[in-house]
Amino acid sequence: MRRGQLLAAAAATCVLAAGAWAAESFDTSRQIGPNPELPEPQQYLFPPMHLASVVGWKSGEVPTVASGLAVKPLATGLQHPRSLYVLPNGDVLVVESKSPGTEGIKRPKDFVMGMIEKMVTGGGGNSAPSNRITLLRDADGDGVAEVQTVFLDHLSSPFGVALVGSDLYVANTDSIMRYHYTPGETTITDPGTPLVALPGGPIDHHWTKSLVASPDGRLLYVGVGSNSNITENGMEAEKNRAAIWEVDRESGRWRLFATGLRNPNGLSWQPESGALWAVINERDELGPNLVPDYMTSVKDGGFYGWPYSYYGQHLDPRVQPQRPDLVAKATVPDYALSSHVAPLGLAFYTADALPAKYHGGAFVGEHGSWDRGTFNGYKVVYVPFSAGMPSGKAEDVVTGFLNADGEARGRPVGLAVDHTGALLVADDVGNTVWRVTAAP
Amino acid sequence: MSRHDAISPRDAVFRQDAAARAAVAAREDLRDDLRATASIAGLPIHAMLVPVPIVCFVGALLTDITYWRTAEMMWSDFSAWLITVGVVIGWLAALAGIIDFASSRGLRALASGWPHVIGGVVVLVLASFNMLVHTHDAWTSVVPWGLGLSVATVIVLIFSGWMGWAMVYRHGAAVVKP
Repeated sequence: MRRGQLLAAAAATCVLAAGAWAAESFDTSRQIGPNPELPEPQQYLFPPMHLASVVGWKSGEVPTVASGLAVKPLATGLQHPRSLYVLPNGDVLVVESKSPGTEGIKRPKDFVMGMIEKMVTGGGGNSAPSNRITLLRDADGDGVAEVQTVFLDHLSSPFGVALVGSDLYVANTDSIMRYHYTPGETTITDPGTPLVALPGGPIDHHWTKSLVASPDGRLLYVGVGSNSNITENGMEAEKNRAAIWEVDRESGRWRLFATGLRNPNGLSWQPESGALWAVINERDELGPNLVPDYMTSVKDGGFYGWPYSYYGQHLDPRVQPQRPDLVAKATVPDYALSSHVAPLGLAFYTADALPAKYHGGAFVGEHGSWDRGTFNGYKVVYVPFSAGMPSGKAEDVVTGFLNADGEARGRPVGLAVDHTGALLVADDVGNTVWRVTAAP
Repeated sequence: MSRHDAISPRDAVFRQDAAARAAVAAREDLRDDLRATASIAGLPIHAMLVPVPIVCFVGALLTDITYWRTAEMMWSDFSAWLITVGVVIGWLAALAGIIDFASSRGLRALASGWPHVIGGVVVLVLASFNMLVHTHDAWTSVVPWGLGLSVATVIVLIFSGWMGWAMVYRHGAAVVKP
């Protein structure tokens, strides 16, 4: 009897250890591509977590780039730069943005999560001005911005920017604003006109509103992330969220273009197919290797699963009541990026200044994981494309955001390609914009 | 038999009195030994704290059942608060109770003593797991494991509580004679 109990206990220990070992030794590259391996969902009493405390870049430190590339800071000393937009004259807009902080404490868990968030976003003590757009100008072309001015100030957790003619649109967390822009100006004086209200508070869990204008300039597309991880704030809080909105630029009239996208960012046009693409942050707390984040073409009227299912018809056990009617038509996304890498930036490369292998594909900025034992992401990767679809494995382009001790010197977010064809990377905890060029 | 060996009726009464007094004194000793060591101004800390986890765990069972029937997140949030507060105050109450129990031969001698202590610890272990289950998001914060643990917690709580009431209301545990 006693021996039997011991054996049972030993077996249970082995099973637990094997589970942990399997999760840790899981080859994340099996979740990169069109057919990711999806393990069974697991829920934990203590979910695996590993957070990178922020140490910042020491003077002279730069990220690591792939061979054939070089990297230099275009600008430093920014305040939480999250996204980038390149104006026609080559000026670079840096959106410096902070969470609106309207997410209250609904459960004891939120205390803990709030503390974690403070830690990964660089500490709560930083009260320097943010929620503004800074203009960078590198007129002499040396790769360092000699002009750095406040372009637009006192915004409400802004993220997306789009210019159509002389109309500059800024997606705050709760509205799209229109400003008149005159080429060459370094500060906007126009107080701005609201075009449409977006779902902001209360809560505003995923607050970044990615923005892109249609090629003909008639429509705007806005990413509106979900108001929770997986409906734990109630279904009512998710109204018109986890979706990409299509907004008429003239009237502000809008409709849901695609739904079931938990947190869509990096809205971009694929140059060959002309399709709208986005990177999506998938759900947490189903295990270190679920659910893979992804990039996908976004179809008009498409439903991509959230919250009811993921990768097509894989049901999420945490959602009740379920919606079999919606799950049945859930679209499988095009290309998985592996779990919890937190993609927030996407840029298709149509210039030719970088080495030939980077022509025609997409760069993805992966902000990096927190809810798995070993880090994933914290880098910029390149996904090759052909005929408008991904055509190979993602490869590392910019790494070294984590140091050898697993501390974050920086974290990549938004991407853009500047007028010389260099890749720009917004680094929100490193407070830097990096400029990646071909090696001299 | 000498005269001195004989017991006078008066002596006999005296000796009986002494025996009775000794018995009373022994009972008084035991009575004193039922006193709570962890106390404030002679009032037992365990008794002050223990209603909180009892009410919280019973309340959480009701809010869990309501969430299970409605899928309305507010009820699951209520459960999470109730269980967390119950666990924190519950372990403090247990600490006070265990100090009392460890310091008192009389409490340990009561038939309901050990069952109350073990039952209480089981309740808190179950509720502590339940607190972690309730950190899950949405449906699986409650169904099936959260609700199951809430039911188990309350069942063991009724047993443990019954033993505790027996200690106090039958034997006067932690009660000071006026």
